[in-house]
Amino acid sequence: MRNVLYVVFLVFFLAGCASQGGKSADIEQRDLFDQQQAQRQQEAARQQEAERQSQVMREQEELKRQLEEQQQRQQSQAQQEQAIVRPLSDGAVGESQLKSDPWSQLKETGSLLLKRSIYYEYDRYDIQEEYVPVIEAHAKILMAHPDLKIVVQGNCDDRGSREYNLALGHRRAESVKRAMALLGVNDKQIESVSFGAEKPVAFGQDEESWAKNRRSDIVYPKEPQ
Amino acid sequence: MLGRPSFVASVVFALFLHAQEAAHAQLNIDLIGGGARQIPVTILPFAGEERFTQRASQIVSADLQRSGMFRLGSVGSVRPLPAEPSEINYRYWKNEGAEMLVIGSVIEKADGHAEVRFRMMDVGKQSQILGFSYTITMSQLRVTAHKIADLIYEKLTGDIGVFATKICFVTKNVDRFELQVSDADGYNPEFILAHREPIISPQWSPDGTRIAYVSFERKKPIVFMHNLLDGTRMVLANFEGSNSAPAWSPDGKKLALVLTKDGSSNIYTINPDASGLARLTETESIDTEPNFSGDGRHILFTSDRAGSPQIYRMRADGEGEAERMTFEGSYNVTPRHSPDGKSFIFIHRNEGRFNVAVLELASRQMQILTAGRLDQSPSLAPNGKMILYATEVKGRGILAAVSSDGRIKQRFTAQSGDIREPAWGPLLNNRRKEQ
Repeated sequence: MRNVLYVVFLVFFLAGCASQGGKSADIEQRDLFDQQQAQRQQEAARQQEAERQSQVMREQEELKRQLEEQQQRQQSQAQQEQAIVRPLSDGAVGESQLKSDPWSQLKETGSLLLKRSIYYEYDRYDIQEEYVPVIEAHAKILMAHPDLKIVVQGNCDDRGSREYNLALGHRRAESVKRAMALLGVNDKQIESVSFGAEKPVAFGQDEESWAKNRRSDIVYPKEPQ
Repeated sequence: MLGRPSFVASVVFALFLHAQEAAHAQLNIDLIGGGARQIPVTILPFAGEERFTQRASQIVSADLQRSGMFRLGSVGSVRPLPAEPSEINYRYWKNEGAEMLVIGSVIEKADGHAEVRFRMMDVGKQSQILGFSYTITMSQLRVTAHKIADLIYEKLTGDIGVFATKICFVTKNVDRFELQVSDADGYNPEFILAHREPIISPQWSPDGTRIAYVSFERKKPIVFMHNLLDGTRMVLANFEGSNSAPAWSPDGKKLALVLTKDGSSNIYTINPDASGLARLTETESIDTEPNFSGDGRHILFTSDRAGSPQIYRMRADGEGEAERMTFEGSYNVTPRHSPDGKSFIFIHRNEGRFNVAVLELASRQMQILTAGRLDQSPSLAPNGKMILYATEVKGRGILAAVSSDGRIKQRFTAQSGDIREPAWGPLLNNRRKEQ
């Protein structure tokens, strides 16, 4: 009980202090109010200025975006024109098929999508003309299925340095990735790795075997076997 | 969590498999050519050594013989053979043609220890040139014999001996890749790790306690570091893209390596604890195969920035312009500094063949040292006198060694499978202090 009384007393005492302090606090509060008002006015002016600036920025960005869009349109138009110039083979992927299940498309008889390897000249990583339709076919299915992912594995023949070949294999895989990105594929759908000369498919020591080993393989990791 | 126990189990299984195979992995080394001037030395069987399975004097003789720099003299017919200077009949050995005579003994001590004593005597002057005694356990007999061979080699050639060093290499049997360490003479092969995926580019730390290497076990190249002292390993670099070509700085405080995380193959440095990654080159083409100079000031590397792969040199901090070092031919790769910094070795394509070559920095003169069809991955001995490299004979990968003047040639063969990716280990710490 004594404790309760003490607490009650303490509350009254503190309340008294508070009411006393309240009077002087009114005066101070006024001063503060005036300051706050001034601050609010300043703040409002600042905000107006910031809004003006950000509007200018937005306008500039919009202009930049429009410019980029225009450039992209021109680029993709150029690409489309390029693509149209090339005759599509019988196995080309038709637009209507693209919406359907990618796995069945990948296995369709006669489809360019069955071709998964791009071959190179010795110590080169540029894509030869004959493999452009293959890359286009894979690019198309990737664009139609944004969740679809591929790994491009770069390989080399076993002559020369293992480490240099590893770097060369990387460039080969990257060249496929870049070609697909230029066609409009989101590069997050493509992972490029290099196996250098470590994963040969042919083991002879002749040009025939070497040519088979100088390649990029397009692998769909989730493709049912 | 489910995957982990099975992974551990497969590693343990791999280790178990290896324990049974280890006995077959030993390499045999044959000398193919000899030096122009061979130094005569006569090594007599050591007294008492016949009681042990490994004969010390035979290990010493084999080391010196294989180096191609010595002509071993006849052990004569006088018996018993001398083991101490007082027992030497100098006139007899002079008549046998001996100039330098090596004598010694192996004395069994209690609790599995032994004392190995050896002396090298100048027969003409009838005086001792070298003499040491070692108290060892029997498992140290081979390395002790290699140390004796090193001392003889150093006294008679003036160069550092490397018989007591180690080498590492990768073996391939069907789909099984193993990283192994052995003595420089191919004995005592020690299994480090095995995988179904390739292992390339092993590199010794300068203190010989760690090996950095590239493994494809996670379906892409990743740089690992294996600690030989406790058998543990860590990932040194696993960035997006390729991680490869580790190379230690001579003080062991840094490694250069090649990453493609920023697009193309560029050279970076990283600390051995995987911290402090820094980029050294900025190329859109290929920069790879970095190699530090012995003084740590420069890095040689391979680049195709001028269209074909050639060797360049830059400052070790990557500052300034890189200087092109090779101009002969359209394919020069895998540079490795000589320990004295006066030259570097590399692989040069010569009329469709890939051979080990050496380029003298002062004169910029190139000399081709080997004649294989596909010679790869050259690694210099720490004395700079021999180059270990991978080559092939009848479609099988083997190791070979050539002296830096091209005269002496050795061939290393295993009983089965391919051997590749050799790296010569450093001099042991205690020996480096003696130099």
